[in-house]
Amino acid sequence: METLAETPWDVIIAGTGLAQSLLALALSRSGKKVLHLDKNPYYGGAEAAFSLDEAQDWMKSVNQHPGQSPFQDVTLSTYQHPQDPHDSSTSTQGTPEVCPKLAASRSYTLSLCPYFLYTRSKLISTLISSKVYRQLDFMAVGSWWIYSLEHSDAENSDLGATRVLNRVPGSREDVFADTHIAMKSKRTLMRFLRHISKPQDEENPEGDEDLSMSFEDYLTSKFSFPPDLQSPLLSLSLSQLPLQETSANYAVARVKRHLTSIGAFGPGFGGVISKYGCGSEILQVACRASAVGGGVYALDTGIESFTENEHAAGEEPPVKAKLSTGETVQTQFMVGSLWDLPNQESPSASFARVTRSITIVSSSFPSLFPITVEGAPLPASAVLMFPGDTLGSPQSPPVYLQVHSSDTGDCPRQQSIIYGSVSLAGPEGQSLLNSAVDRLVRAEGPQAAVLWSMRYTQVGRLSNGSAEPHLHTLSPHVLRIPPSGLDLAFEDDTVDVVQEAWQRIVGDEVGREEFMVFDDREASDE
Amino acid sequence: MSEPASANAPKPSSSVKLVLLGEAAVGKSSLVLRFVNNDFQENKEPTIGAAFLTQKCSLPTRTIKFEIWDTAGQERFASLAPMYYRNAQAALVVYDVTKPSSLTKAKHWVAELQRQASPGIVIALVGNKLDLTNDSGDASESAATENEFESTPNADEAAGEEGEEQDVTPGDARKVPTREANTYAEEEGLLFFETSAKTGTNVVDVFTAIANAIPESSLKTGRGTGAGTGQTALSGRSEDSRVNLGDRNAATAKEGCAC
Repeated sequence: METLAETPWDVIIAGTGLAQSLLALALSRSGKKVLHLDKNPYYGGAEAAFSLDEAQDWMKSVNQHPGQSPFQDVTLSTYQHPQDPHDSSTSTQGTPEVCPKLAASRSYTLSLCPYFLYTRSKLISTLISSKVYRQLDFMAVGSWWIYSLEHSDAENSDLGATRVLNRVPGSREDVFADTHIAMKSKRTLMRFLRHISKPQDEENPEGDEDLSMSFEDYLTSKFSFPPDLQSPLLSLSLSQLPLQETSANYAVARVKRHLTSIGAFGPGFGGVISKYGCGSEILQVACRASAVGGGVYALDTGIESFTENEHAAGEEPPVKAKLSTGETVQTQFMVGSLWDLPNQESPSASFARVTRSITIVSSSFPSLFPITVEGAPLPASAVLMFPGDTLGSPQSPPVYLQVHSSDTGDCPRQQSIIYGSVSLAGPEGQSLLNSAVDRLVRAEGPQAAVLWSMRYTQVGRLSNGSAEPHLHTLSPHVLRIPPSGLDLAFEDDTVDVVQEAWQRIVGDEVGREEFMVFDDREASDE
Repeated sequence: MSEPASANAPKPSSSVKLVLLGEAAVGKSSLVLRFVNNDFQENKEPTIGAAFLTQKCSLPTRTIKFEIWDTAGQERFASLAPMYYRNAQAALVVYDVTKPSSLTKAKHWVAELQRQASPGIVIALVGNKLDLTNDSGDASESAATENEFESTPNADEAAGEEGEEQDVTPGDARKVPTREANTYAEEEGLLFFETSAKTGTNVVDVFTAIANAIPESSLKTGRGTGAGTGQTALSGRSEDSRVNLGDRNAATAKEGCAC
């Protein structure tokens, strides 16, 4: 096959985000002829990962074509740190020269939309049942930290960044071991952890407990939580809203998810990230596996327009799509996101917006990645929350920073990547992010310097926002998938949407349980 | 060497990611199939099927486990994933000795690897389909042989054709002199071999040579990014801290998945 036009396709999938890539894999293994396109010359769409040079190209492209992607307002800065001859003698004498310099462009893998997976995520089960996980490397997400203004160790520079951070206890063992929390608070915390670990019916035989209030009211009224322990619990829920605006319903379910995930793949961690670029790596592996199943891939190829013929006779595919390459292709189904299909409407007002930043720092932040349980793997990522009030903005949503060590393969050794996000668009969000990153870097000490940073706004959906995570039926043959999630942790509803789209296309005669369950077809000498 | 990993004494073992590149129908998958299964299929379909294979290669001091990434046909519409060669420690760039254009394409891939892949990547240039030439035994002797024969019209697809014995020997189908490719390989610092996936000539040798050429340092740090070779007190830890998703799969098979 030398041209795409020769084949009548069963499905054309536009865009190579994670949802589309999983769908392509599922369909290609269900015997469908899949043509998978991306208008960009790279995989991943909104979930792509870039080298430094690629990030620069991406910035130009986004800023030049507003509305063509879920991104806007990209800015990028590179920082020079000339060796100060007066200063170097005091700080670096006797120690190996730490080079506060950027390495080569492709030493970095920067994720536009970084997320980790909880170990009990549906996506993990899907990666396992489809055998896709074999081509991926996963690293542990370790500790959660919360930024605190009143920190007893603030002057102890040996602690690095953790002198302004408190480790959030994520398990009962953690609570026992914690030296900062007062005894009375520990008891409250234990009571809460015990409460939410219990199955709902056992605790409350009368029925579901009332979770309609805010998380703040819930913690205060039900458990008399001291205010200083409420933000740490909020961080375990990864809520992108302030405490008072986060519903108890949302937060309790997600704190539960956090607690029950710990230990599923080994002691001491409940989340994992895919090495070399988070979701970008997963989706590319899915695309490869889809190609193995017969899917055909073409990058730099978008859909310019399409027509539908409801009365197509017999075998004739009802959809004709004109590609940016000039070719016209025919298909039974077409699937894509808002930004991949032509005739797009403007993004719904219900979509959320987050400001993100990516910062490359010349420090490995060793104190952020402790091994807290014997036998646990060394974490490669940590989650930091800066409550709005600690940044001088009590009404603002919290700022989250995910720090990736070089073990993620995202950056060279002796450096780290800080992925920041806050669900507040515009200058206000940017200034909060800057402030959080700045405080972290300064607390780490003089060897930590910002080498490179990028900021941008992304449109998508938040798990505690209002946007619908549904599959949109634009016509019987054209399906639209929702935009990428903006949460720190992968939300399972993406897998649900993929499964729904798959079922729609393969038809009801294929059982639900066959979704993404493949035999090993690869020779292995294990 | 293709004996399974049955060495008694446990030698240090390292995984090496190896990517395959080359024009369609030069025999990339056939080479791997010969190496991994010691098998050859005459009319192999274009690759849709196995795209990720592993094979151990036992050296005197260590065992190298090749993780071999076939292109799965994704090179056709310029859609090969960046992650395909990212972090690869070795690459096999294959051309067809009966098809000069395939060497041109191979040179493009070498240039792309030098531009995009890890700086320390070991690249082997491999001229395949040696069985279609007169010197199917020893590649090194044939440098100066220019052949006068026309190749069979479909020589470029020979691996995918029926290819009965009598068809392939009207004469020497070689179109790429060994010397030309060898000179190029030397200039670019590549390993160079001529092979036949069909007869097995030199196939194992290619992989052994690659295994020997992988610097010890790049094995210790796992799949390092190449650029970050700065030392750290915690170096060598990255392999150990990987999370094995296969574990839970086995461990919790009975209690069922969480979802």
